Amino acid sequence: MGEYLVRRILQSVVVLFLISVFTFGLIHAAPGGPTQIFLSPGLSVEAGKIKAHELGLDQPIPVQYLQWMGNILSGDLGSTFKNNIPVGDILWPTVKNTLILMGAAWILTLIIAIPWGIYNSTKEYGLSDQTASFISYTGFAMPAFWFGIILQSYFSLKLDWLPLSDMYTMGKEGNISDLFMHLILPVSVLSLGMLAGYLKYARSSMLEVLEQDYIRTARAKGVKENKVVFRHALRNALIPLITLFGLDLPILVGGAALTEAVFNWPGMGRLFVEMANSREYSVLMAITLLGAVFVVVGNLIADILYAVVDPRVQLSKGGKS
Amino acid sequence: MARKILEVNEMSAGFFVNKEILKATDRISFSVEEGQTLCIVGESGSGKSVTSLAVMRIIDYAGGMILEGDIKFNGEVLSEKDQDEMRSIRGNQIAMIFQDPMSSLNPVFTVGEQIAESLRLHQRKSPKDAMKMAIDLLREVGIPSPEVRARQYPHELSGGMCQRVVIAIALACRPELLIADEPTTALDVTVQAQILDLLQQLQRETGMSIVLITHDMGVAAEVADRIVVMYAGGIMEEGSVEEIFSKPSHPYTVGLLKSIPGFEAKTEEDLYTIKGNIPRINQLPGGCRFHPRCPHAMDICRREEPGFFQLGNDHKAACWLFEEHSDESPLSPRINIGSQGEVTV
Repeated sequence: MGEYLVRRILQSVVVLFLISVFTFGLIHAAPGGPTQIFLSPGLSVEAGKIKAHELGLDQPIPVQYLQWMGNILSGDLGSTFKNNIPVGDILWPTVKNTLILMGAAWILTLIIAIPWGIYNSTKEYGLSDQTASFISYTGFAMPAFWFGIILQSYFSLKLDWLPLSDMYTMGKEGNISDLFMHLILPVSVLSLGMLAGYLKYARSSMLEVLEQDYIRTARAKGVKENKVVFRHALRNALIPLITLFGLDLPILVGGAALTEAVFNWPGMGRLFVEMANSREYSVLMAITLLGAVFVVVGNLIADILYAVVDPRVQLSKGGKS
Repeated sequence: MARKILEVNEMSAGFFVNKEILKATDRISFSVEEGQTLCIVGESGSGKSVTSLAVMRIIDYAGGMILEGDIKFNGEVLSEKDQDEMRSIRGNQIAMIFQDPMSSLNPVFTVGEQIAESLRLHQRKSPKDAMKMAIDLLREVGIPSPEVRARQYPHELSGGMCQRVVIAIALACRPELLIADEPTTALDVTVQAQILDLLQQLQRETGMSIVLITHDMGVAAEVADRIVVMYAGGIMEEGSVEEIFSKPSHPYTVGLLKSIPGFEAKTEEDLYTIKGNIPRINQLPGGCRFHPRCPHAMDICRREEPGFFQLGNDHKAACWLFEEHSDESPLSPRINIGSQGEVTV
């Protein structure tokens, strides 16, 4: 297990390095650099060049990459071109806000989807199953921003039950119940989207397991039906779902750009869009790398949980995860 | 005559598919005496497994049901019991082992846990006692170092070992009746023999009755006291093992016996096959269900379904050929059973 972890972490370092090279190249290949953003009509071309030189943007891209990498390794995420604000000061608060939003949506989704999906697998095509199917298709088909706007127009503008947008009412920053009220609408939008997939996965995974021979063996032993489902089938049905948890972990930080925009939520998704518009390379790179770290960590967590639930998976024997 | 432990009377079992009833077994009747081994033989799709699922009433969970007739176990009518009552019988008085031992065991529990579960369920043993008994059972079914094996998962065991574990699960509560559905089909030939020997040895020790379902006439010859030959959901022939092998009468039984590859068979042409395929249960032919494949089919076979004709004291066949002369079998090929139970045609 320890050996496995070390090997996986070393692999992750290589993966992260490659991702950083790739995204750095990609961002710099995008048309329109930061200098063009600074170029207000009053600024001369020469002034722009001087500014670019100051920021090191006239250097060859590999040199820029090495400088950036050197800073990252010494713990310096860099600063914005505009106003020279340290990246961390901008980034960390938005990371926290996004985690609050996505974490709430994710937990809500799992709490609803897994028990409900399992229940539906035992009552295939019943009323509850049909309802869940309807919700799934709706969730898959409906664009999040559109659903968000519909909820806003009904629950905030028309009924005035819930706040329209933002994270806190002005002057109530840090108030938990105020935060809760602000979470309801965006979490509903995000949960519906995630529920669509998890409901279907939980149901189909369970259905598949319930048809296995060992379930028949359990029934032939005289095991009670609820024990057949919750003891014999559930653990097997969770195995594929665990992969899904791990792979979905990165959406905790990256999955909500549109929803954050609609609800004016001060999170990472919104920040990324803003920073992409103003070509703030260092912020974009920091967000991308953070996303990559989440992907790598999510996969690792999925593999470890996999081995915990499924005795057939042995991490130490290499390549078998 | 020994007491009848299982009696199946005119039992039809089937499935609802697209609002249509598909009968997988058609008014079949047979019985098993105490301590006896009954083999149900027939090719795939003949309704053997459905019969066993119906007796266990697990068919209810597979989307099927018993449509008519009844099943009596020790005089109790199983086909009228609800699932709660059945649960106290399943795994306790009637146990079952299945075809593929590797997939019959739950991959996320140790084999010890899986054996102990029956004991905790039906005999209210404590987890510790149940585990101790599970280890004894593993030893009984011939698994070396059972203390170690009990803590292992099914994927760490070979197919033959897994089948021994499945047998241990089935025997945990000392059932009066064991239903074995193709218990050796998924195993190597050498392991097959070991498993059959084990079942027979355990039967001698415990006195249980066995219903063994197989498509392999060789297996039937080795272990059966009585044989029921099924085809497309109906019983074609029934009799003691001696009668069936010395005087096979129904053309289907004869075909099955001839299909056993002999040592003389050198080329593909030497291998006898019954022409055609078993019909789908929703497309059964009229008259005798075997007539389209029967080399002796007559006019009446296409028109009318034959009843049973008594061929001997303990031997009957559902075939029009025996209408006139029900004491001799005109079709009997030269079939010999060797001292080891091997069959030559």
